[in-house]
Amino acid sequence: MKVIVLQENLARGLSIVSRAVSPRSTLPVLSNILIASDEGRLRLSATNLELGITCWIPARIEQEGSTTVPSRTLSDLINTLPADQVQLILDTQTQSLHVQGGTSNNDIKCIDAQEFPPLPVPDMDGAVQVNVADFKEMIQQVTFAASTDEARPVLMGVLVTVEKDQITMAAADGFRLAVRKATLSNAMPSPISAIIPARALNELARVAGDGEESIYMVMPKGRGQVLFRVKDVEVVSQLIDGTFPDYHQIIPRNYKSRTLVSTNAMLKACKQAEIFAREGSNVARLDIKPAQSDMQPSEVEISATSEETGRNETIVEATVDGGGMLIAFNVKFLREALEAVKTPNVAMETSGPNAPGVIRPVGNDDYIQVIMPMHLG
Amino acid sequence: MPIRLLSSEVASQIAAGEVIERPASVVKELAENALDAGARALTISIAEAGRALVEVADDGSGIPASELALAVERHATSKLVQSEDLFHISTLGFRGEALASIGSVSRMTVTSRVAESATGARLRVEGGISSKVEPVGAPVGTVVRVEDLFYNVPARLKFLKADVTERRAIDNLVTRYALAYPHVRFKLSEGKNVSLQTAGDGDRRSILAALYGVDVARQMLEVIAEEEGLRLTGFISPTSLTRSNRKEITFFVNGRWVQEVALNTAVIQAYHTLLMVGRYPLTALFLDMLPGDVDVNVHPAKAEVRFKNQDRVFSFVQRAVRRALLAYTPVPSVAPTTLWGGRPSEPREPGLDWTMARETVDGGRPTAEGQPSEASSPTPQPETRPAFNLPLLRLIGQIGSAYLVAEGPDGLYLIDQHAAHERVLFEKLMAQHGMKSILSQALLTPAVVHLPPAQAKLLEGQIDVLNHFGFEVEAFGANTFQVRAMPTLFRGSDPSLALRALVEDFEEDEAPLQAEVEARLAGRVCKRLAVKAGQTLTPEEQRALLSDLETCESPRTCPHGRPTMIHLSVDMLERQFGRKGPR
Ligand SMILES: Nc1ncnc2c1ncn2[C@@H]1O[C@H](COP(=O)(O)OP(=O)(O)OP(=O)(O)O)[C@@H](O)[C@H]1O
Ligand SMILES: [Mg+2]
Repeated sequence: MKVIVLQENLARGLSIVSRAVSPRSTLPVLSNILIASDEGRLRLSATNLELGITCWIPARIEQEGSTTVPSRTLSDLINTLPADQVQLILDTQTQSLHVQGGTSNNDIKCIDAQEFPPLPVPDMDGAVQVNVADFKEMIQQVTFAASTDEARPVLMGVLVTVEKDQITMAAADGFRLAVRKATLSNAMPSPISAIIPARALNELARVAGDGEESIYMVMPKGRGQVLFRVKDVEVVSQLIDGTFPDYHQIIPRNYKSRTLVSTNAMLKACKQAEIFAREGSNVARLDIKPAQSDMQPSEVEISATSEETGRNETIVEATVDGGGMLIAFNVKFLREALEAVKTPNVAMETSGPNAPGVIRPVGNDDYIQVIMPMHLG
Repeated sequence: MPIRLLSSEVASQIAAGEVIERPASVVKELAENALDAGARALTISIAEAGRALVEVADDGSGIPASELALAVERHATSKLVQSEDLFHISTLGFRGEALASIGSVSRMTVTSRVAESATGARLRVEGGISSKVEPVGAPVGTVVRVEDLFYNVPARLKFLKADVTERRAIDNLVTRYALAYPHVRFKLSEGKNVSLQTAGDGDRRSILAALYGVDVARQMLEVIAEEEGLRLTGFISPTSLTRSNRKEITFFVNGRWVQEVALNTAVIQAYHTLLMVGRYPLTALFLDMLPGDVDVNVHPAKAEVRFKNQDRVFSFVQRAVRRALLAYTPVPSVAPTTLWGGRPSEPREPGLDWTMARETVDGGRPTAEGQPSEASSPTPQPETRPAFNLPLLRLIGQIGSAYLVAEGPDGLYLIDQHAAHERVLFEKLMAQHGMKSILSQALLTPAVVHLPPAQAKLLEGQIDVLNHFGFEVEAFGANTFQVRAMPTLFRGSDPSLALRALVEDFEEDEAPLQAEVEARLAGRVCKRLAVKAGQTLTPEEQRALLSDLETCESPRTCPHGRPTMIHLSVDMLERQFGRKGPR
């Protein structure tokens, strides 16, 4: 193999695929990145067997071929080379890759490409097509609510359902739920429902870039995999087996009190409360106070106390519809929920200190979050 | 009060079930009857580990001849009339079950005389069939003779353990009752072989010696604590004396031997961080309270009780034990493995074995030097300096950037700076967080958890406690529970794992969740905050560490139970240098 690429293209490609490299594996080849000439471009692939990322970069192929290169070595090296042409020449006898850029000459020991696990070649027929920016926003609005507890694999995933022209993502970690809907430009003939690892979606959002392209998603029948393609990147992930909790039942249909606040003001208050809460209980208390008179407008008081650090209390102006209430939440949940809200105003609905709290962006019905309260035992 | 049949309404409210399971149960029921009758002396004879014979003779009030036939009937008792009485039971018996149960599975003879009557009366019951009451000459008091236990229930016989085991169960039981009633004379014999005889002079420590041997009995620490309506007396082992299981944690509540998870838990919690993992104390504790504050009618064999205010009892016991313990916790001292003369040519290594005192005395056999007895405990003037749990230490310096060297009134102290700082930080954090603020996080969807029957049973009895610990749990069908909220302490988020972990705590008698709280704190302390070995400390820092340590509640161990200090007594130094003979 003999290939000439631009340093910046190779560096970008490596940074995209290296997220799927498994840094500590008993299979040495999984710490490597596959590089292969592919119809006039250079294909880079990495996988940890759960997640695989492939990326194509422009290249001048002088001789076809492929090998796998240790990810760390190659990435670190390429990142320090001058922004110019980089020549990659493989000695197939010794599986040694000669990397030359500027005045720097390097020989890296490789592992035969034969040993690299084959990644599926997707058939993008009948793919779900979503605008990249929309898809990324959906991902960012739900994945943080997924669980990171290995003991509950199903909750480490995001339930993705497609029905006609509606796509929905839902994630829950047992204490909170985030559900985001979007409308597709064209209706799908048959419904889809699958649990995709939150981590895979986060990686997808990271590598998808910005812009007006589309993301294509397919789930080939019976393979237990999902494939995404956006521009010159492909991401493949194993699906999670299992039954996702029926979240429709969790979302309360009504409320006793609805509080409207500025998203930003509320988020700031939460961040301040978190400074104190994080040392101990993680609790933020919300005292929702409806207007007593014209002189005293309605407001929410957010407070947190730490035996170690001290105490914080912030008042946020609010429009309260319904009764006053004292309710406590895990402040991290609350902060993350507010960070995900993109509208200037947000509504919090609840029916009592032991009832779920519902968070909705004002003026957008596609996004809803539920957070369960905390209380002193 | 005369013996009467309980109304069926009252009888139905009594926790009923298998009363007689083994010979020791017979002994227990008969001894309790004798104690209820105000006996000053109990003479218990057994043969063939109680299978052939259990006889209990007492000098109590006796049973009038006219009531004897009734006494052996089911639900016949003189100790209870109406259901309200069930909530103020001050006698050991109340069900009117015991004699009837024993009579139905053995050949039983009851002989009794009351002081007002010149003659006694006798009644035989065989397999539940009573003979006529006949007059006999007898001293005042009652003798119940139970022969051929389970002769008519072969299935039961099969389940009895080896003679040694059954005999040990009886020994254990009688000794513990003797301990609980030190003013009553107990004698237990099998043929000519007397295994226990107490003086009835109120001296508990001598009875303790019968239970655990003289050495252990001498080391046991006395507990006396009283608080409005609650009194705890008895003995606990020092931290140097441990067992690998919880079987030696003995509790009496209002004179009744109970196996109560919550009480055991309170005791273990009191020892928390003072014992190595997997070691448990020995205790013989007697808790007294108003009869109305404890429900004894919860378990067929009366082995469990329920407190009206469980939290209060729990924390009272825990505090009382902790206080008694801290007043005595010894510093591990150095035990020479070879006596003087071992290797005199190597003065820097005088053949010392740097072990902790507690490891050398387990099982009650103290080695030459490892045993700081109460008298030589390095708490020289506890009454003059009650606020401190350490003697005054004069800092000498730091060695190896890891240890502080200090002089105390009774020798040299080596202090592990990391362990000591961990202890200091740990107590600060515990004081701030404590168990008070257990937060509960509600779940999005209730989790349904199935448990094996034994664990389910255990949990059912503890749901109130659980809810106190930040869970919201309710029974949800057979062996199934629904969890609606869980404490935020768990690192994981799986409510069923959390609940199971907690039930295991209960099974193991561990202080529920205490381990979680403390492990988290201890983890934080060690990782982030405590000074490390290898860190040079300025003299000011060294002094500050020493004085912080002095104010700790348990300065002698780190939160993981390892020692913070080693003590080389003057006496030991003198012997190691050959200035003194080895005793
Ligand atoms: N050793 C004894 N001395 C005096 N009276 C006794 C003695 N043993 C039994 N009795 C009388 O016989 C009654 C029945 O005894 P039994 O042990 O069957 O029931 P109980 O002690 O009332 O209740 P429990 O079943 O809870 O032990 C007692 O209530 C008591 O009046
Ligand atoms: Mg009785």
